[in-house]
Amino acid sequence: MFLDSDLLMSALRALTPILLAALGGALCERAGVFNIGLEGMMLLGCFTSVATSWFTGSPWLGVLAAALAAAAYSLILAVGAVTLKGDAVVLGIAMNLLAVGLTSFLLRTVFGVQGTFDDPSLQGLPLIGGFSPLAHLSWAAVAVAALLLSRHVWGLRLRGVGEAPDAAATLGVRPATYQYGVILLSGVLCGLAGAQLALGNVTLFTENMTAGRGWIAVVAVMLGRAAPLGVLLAALLFGLAEAAGFRLQGLGLPQQATDAAPYVVTLGALFLTTARRRRTPRPSGARS
Amino acid sequence: MSRRTRRTLQTVAAATLLVGAATACNAAAKNDASDSAGSGGSGTSFTLVTPDAVGQNEFLKLAVTGIKDAAKAHDGTQKVYESTDTASQQQNVQAAVDAKPDVIVLVGFEFADVVAQQAEKNPTQQFLIVDACTTKTYKNVSCAVFREHEGVYLAGAEAGLLSRSGKVGAVDVLDTPQFRRYSDPFAAGAKQVAGKTETSTRFVGGQSPFDDSARAKEQANTLLSKGYDQIMAAAAAGNYGVFEAAKAKGAYAYGVDVNQCPSAPGTVVDNVIKRTDVAVEKGIDAVLGGTTGTTVSYGLKEGGISLTGLEDGVDSSQCVIADHKDVLTKVEALRDRIVSGELTVDDPAAS
Repeated sequence: MFLDSDLLMSALRALTPILLAALGGALCERAGVFNIGLEGMMLLGCFTSVATSWFTGSPWLGVLAAALAAAAYSLILAVGAVTLKGDAVVLGIAMNLLAVGLTSFLLRTVFGVQGTFDDPSLQGLPLIGGFSPLAHLSWAAVAVAALLLSRHVWGLRLRGVGEAPDAAATLGVRPATYQYGVILLSGVLCGLAGAQLALGNVTLFTENMTAGRGWIAVVAVMLGRAAPLGVLLAALLFGLAEAAGFRLQGLGLPQQATDAAPYVVTLGALFLTTARRRRTPRPSGARS
Repeated sequence: MSRRTRRTLQTVAAATLLVGAATACNAAAKNDASDSAGSGGSGTSFTLVTPDAVGQNEFLKLAVTGIKDAAKAHDGTQKVYESTDTASQQQNVQAAVDAKPDVIVLVGFEFADVVAQQAEKNPTQQFLIVDACTTKTYKNVSCAVFREHEGVYLAGAEAGLLSRSGKVGAVDVLDTPQFRRYSDPFAAGAKQVAGKTETSTRFVGGQSPFDDSARAKEQANTLLSKGYDQIMAAAAAGNYGVFEAAKAKGAYAYGVDVNQCPSAPGTVVDNVIKRTDVAVEKGIDAVLGGTTGTTVSYGLKEGGISLTGLEDGVDSSQCVIADHKDVLTKVEALRDRIVSGELTVDDPAAS
């Protein structure tokens, strides 16, 4: 009864927004930019997708607008960290704070409500084969990112920029171009993650509705060692832990204990992976 | 200072400015004073301070109705100060205190601390807090709190009568005694009318339990997938997620505080509502009558807690219960037993 298709579906629904955002974070990480602004970009994506879907009646335009808005927002990090050489952590935190204030403010000015915008006629994304189209896209994105990083010349250069920017520059690769590219791409992916959350998982906008998912994505990047497949596994682990936590409540475990499930899993996974990493000497070259 | 650090500092400064700008937009205090009602003959005056903009907030709209009715009844004047955030809440309370009305009415737990400070500084000013109370008691602070569990019990009875599967559940915010008022009595009410009913409660929890509608929806889904067909939604902003889940499975849900039926017509059966207007009006009566510094609790008997289905206008409420008059008759009978004291509802928050 415990492990069944409902549990898996629940885990996969929880997975999609985290996976999309974490992929963006992983690409930035590989290019040497520590992106912790995922939460803010995702939240902006949530609002933009809902607002656009509401005014145009098309959830697809909502998805598109979310990707564009979050990409534009990611320029703060790109300009600040790459061009002005600012601290990416400070910028990321500022972006997260700004997004909470900005979306709450826009919610009041655009919709004239506070807290939640919800309307029965707000159009959400349709399901394709039981899943949101963005879920399918996220899986495809994992495969594409993995292939690009390991098999394509762009991926090689991207990794070069991350690991040895000076060396890359001497070979005629401009690090800034690649870093701008991945930061904008992470903006697009986080925008899609937000659209998935606000038009896929639910069909509404609530202030601060990302509720820490962007931070979990940051952890997934670290846990998956910024490799697309690793990030997929890490995000899946979080999804399963969350879904299993819900089930455990049904078995009579107190909520305070089941809330800890994702964190216990994280600690366990970190412990196991570091133990393995110690045994095998870290390769200096590329992984994916 | 090296070039690198200077640049970093510039970026930090720019980022701080950006955040500051965004919050400044919110922080602009709105001091809407709406003055109306009454000739002001006796010179009695009341001020209502709300924690948020009243706008479409039914809960606060009722409080405004309450203070207007009180002004009319006492032939006085009233003012409403709408806040938009913590800073403007404090400013509004200060402005209200400066104006020295007979009674300052404040709605919500947000005001508990600031009122405690002001009450100490202004011992002659009378305060009335609705839906919360200060931790210490003051001679000039009266409180009006609600017995939500009585209403939730009646909603549970409706669920017990309407359930086809014999399983009713609740999605609650957090597993604390205060929030269990929204889930335990729901189960008790269902068992009262249908003894064999199976019950279960899920708590949203997580990093922001009050905002996470996606998580609330998943919690509702775990109940629905086990055949639960009546869900009490007490998940704050997460309620909309619960309604979505119930709607997708053709199940029924129950809302809280205000009429939430219009957000999912055909899915939301009924709502446990808090009549803030009743609490404001009766609270002001008590203070003017000389009873101050007390905490009064409002339940079914006092008309402070009710169901949308038991109020006027149920037919236009878009609630499912409007089509189940037979259920309403039974629930009314149950309410009368609670009002008469024949039946008591266990309070999970009772210490």
